[in-house]
Amino acid sequence: MKKIIKNPMSLAGLIIISIIGVLAIFAGYLSPFDPNYININAILLSPDGTHWMGTDALGRDVFSRMLHGAQISLLVGIVAVGISTIIGIILGSVAGYYRGIADTIIMRLVDVMLSIPSFFLILAVIAFLTPSIWNIMIVIGLTSWMGVTRLVRAEFLSLKERDFVLAAQTLGASDIRIILTHLLPNSLGPIIVSTVLGVASAVLVESGLSFLGLGVQAPTASWGNILTDGKEYIQFAWWLSLFPGLAILITVLGYNLLGEGLRDNFDQNT
Amino acid sequence: MHKFLALLILSLVVGCNNSQNLDNTNYDEPALPESGGALTNAMIGEPNNLIAMIAGDSASSAIAGQIFNSLLKYDENLGFEGDLADSWTISDDYKKITFNLKQDIKWADDEPFTCEDVLFTWKKVTDPDTRTPYGSDYQLVSSASCANNHIFIAEYDEPYAPALETWASLHILPEHLLKDENVNDTYFSLNPIGSNYYALDEWTTGQQVKLKTNPNSVHGRPLLEKKITRIIPDLSSQFMELIAGNIDLMNINPIQYSRVFPSRSELNDKVNLYKEMGNGYTYFGFNLKKKPFDDLNIRKAISYAINKEEIINGVLLGLGEEITSPYKPGTYWENKTINKISFDVSKSRELLEKSGYELNANNIYEKDGKPLAFEILTNQNKQREMTAVLIQRRLQDIGIDVSIRVIEWASFVNRFIKTGEFEAVVLGWSLSLDPDQYSIWHSSQQGPGQFNFIGYNNPRVDKLLEDGRKELNNEKRKQIYDEFSKIIYDEQPIIYLYAGYGLTAIHKKIKGVKKITPPAGVFHNEYEWYIPKKFRRNEMSL
Repeated sequence: MKKIIKNPMSLAGLIIISIIGVLAIFAGYLSPFDPNYININAILLSPDGTHWMGTDALGRDVFSRMLHGAQISLLVGIVAVGISTIIGIILGSVAGYYRGIADTIIMRLVDVMLSIPSFFLILAVIAFLTPSIWNIMIVIGLTSWMGVTRLVRAEFLSLKERDFVLAAQTLGASDIRIILTHLLPNSLGPIIVSTVLGVASAVLVESGLSFLGLGVQAPTASWGNILTDGKEYIQFAWWLSLFPGLAILITVLGYNLLGEGLRDNFDQNT
Repeated sequence: MHKFLALLILSLVVGCNNSQNLDNTNYDEPALPESGGALTNAMIGEPNNLIAMIAGDSASSAIAGQIFNSLLKYDENLGFEGDLADSWTISDDYKKITFNLKQDIKWADDEPFTCEDVLFTWKKVTDPDTRTPYGSDYQLVSSASCANNHIFIAEYDEPYAPALETWASLHILPEHLLKDENVNDTYFSLNPIGSNYYALDEWTTGQQVKLKTNPNSVHGRPLLEKKITRIIPDLSSQFMELIAGNIDLMNINPIQYSRVFPSRSELNDKVNLYKEMGNGYTYFGFNLKKKPFDDLNIRKAISYAINKEEIINGVLLGLGEEITSPYKPGTYWENKTINKISFDVSKSRELLEKSGYELNANNIYEKDGKPLAFEILTNQNKQREMTAVLIQRRLQDIGIDVSIRVIEWASFVNRFIKTGEFEAVVLGWSLSLDPDQYSIWHSSQQGPGQFNFIGYNNPRVDKLLEDGRKELNNEKRKQIYDEFSKIIYDEQPIIYLYAGYGLTAIHKKIKGVKKITPPAGVFHNEYEWYIPKKFRRNEMSL
């Protein structure tokens, strides 16, 4: 933790993420309006004292929608990355620890998955499912585990040759025990970095899907669909495009700063 | 490298100055008609086939309509006038139409136009091997023949009231170029030879379709020398191009019409806006084959719970009208005697309770333990999506649990409409000029891909629709369709939401546009439009 604070990059990232996280968690209390409250007498008002970020084409308060959108974006980001990290760790451990045929199969599978542009893969899968945030989380999770798998495998390959692993094996420790207590904790650094960076990209993917109308369905707010709603009025109602755009930018930046900062720290360690 | 950059920046600066100079032109200055010049417009999709009977999409028919003629066309008051036909007569028993075709006409490739071309086109459109959705209208013709080179005769077994309309929407194709071709898949479909004002000049895939005047045009030479249609898939980019002066006209949305234009006076110096009743209406449709929508009380309760006025004000900013029959408001066929169902929450609750529904602990109506809940499907159309959100809110208020799902058009049609796998939809139909609504409401039209996908079935309506097609006396016909409209409104198989205005922005440099839009629409006299030389765009930059 100290190291995070000492590194200005990761500190900035951490602050940004914390602020957005707090805003998202307390969205219900912080929103001045119900995010889905329609007021057709207040259509497309520019930002002022009442509506801090203006209103949209149905007269809904954009600030309230942004806060609730933050919940969706972060939830999707974190759960999706959770899924992909778990899959990545399991497959990477098997491949890196046991080698042989399992390794070959898993790594070729990784190659196959990586050879398909992931956003289009996600688009294709989502088109067949009912678009809902749960489906989106699962699909993003199931299509972005390859990086973690490779990382874990590479870490395991080098760690496995170390003396302490050999010692554990000689003492008769089971494979599971060795993996869980000796190998995994020692490869945690790169995994955390990739997880943090993964959240950034999952937030982007969710926004992209919602922007294309395949993500979170109306009337639920998400940054991506506030942005699409605003696209049509971009010359006139700049606030509908600016605020969600900025929010996505800042969030992704925050996660990237934290991720990069952490990576620097871990690199110094080794 | 630095020099190059400097040059680039310099040229950007110069470029900006240039366009600003253009802005100072006073486009209101009067100018006499003169020929030449190019009109540029934009469309969302690329035409896929310029033989309209095969293509069936609006992008294709918009371009094809400039190149081909039909036998008849609409005059500015929506009556019929000759296009390729000079005149026509209908026999006393209404079963035979004789068209006297224009003589001494040539196709754009200088071959003569004859009755054989008309006969050939009729054979093609009714040929089962031709992949056209429009065949059934022409299959009602029991025999078609040419009395001589310029008299075409169409005979029907029974009087068919929409007959003239069908002959006004069938583009006549040249037999000499197509007789040995497969019309479904021919070089001709992208390189057409027609008889109308324009001929294809140049087609750059994905960018633009350029038309030039056809020297053999049936109706003489139009003033505008070229018509360029740019393909710009995104409406907001189209609008930016309009503002930048790179396209001359486009359909705009209510926000642009009543918010953007009034707030930016410099736009009003350059562009004129036209407002007319649009050609379609938006409705909320039930799948009548699914419970609980087979229950009239439920349908009516939902209709009372929807505030149509609010939708028109919220989604269209007031730029639309409520309708009670599927005909353009203010036209002959509209049934003006129908009392509309207005927003009334207590009536809605009353009807729900009459059908045995009661509010449960979550404030949702339920019956036999089953809550009243359904999903509204619509396609990716902002206005329809917003409409669905407003409906959802009103139904939620009353105690009906509604979710919304927005789907891309192709999968919307193929996975949900054609299979009947939907509960409720927000969709649109066009408001046709002929009152015939057979394909939408007749019970025989429920097959996959047919238009009665909501499953409406009423023997009386079937009978009226059949009679209406055979009745050529306008007053008797009006009675038939008035009763039809009344039954549909009483039964609420769909809830009419609104008919929006068509909003068109046309650059002021285009002269000859009628100030008072005729019933046939602002584009009706587009062949008389012109661009004075002083306002023309430097065509090199295109």
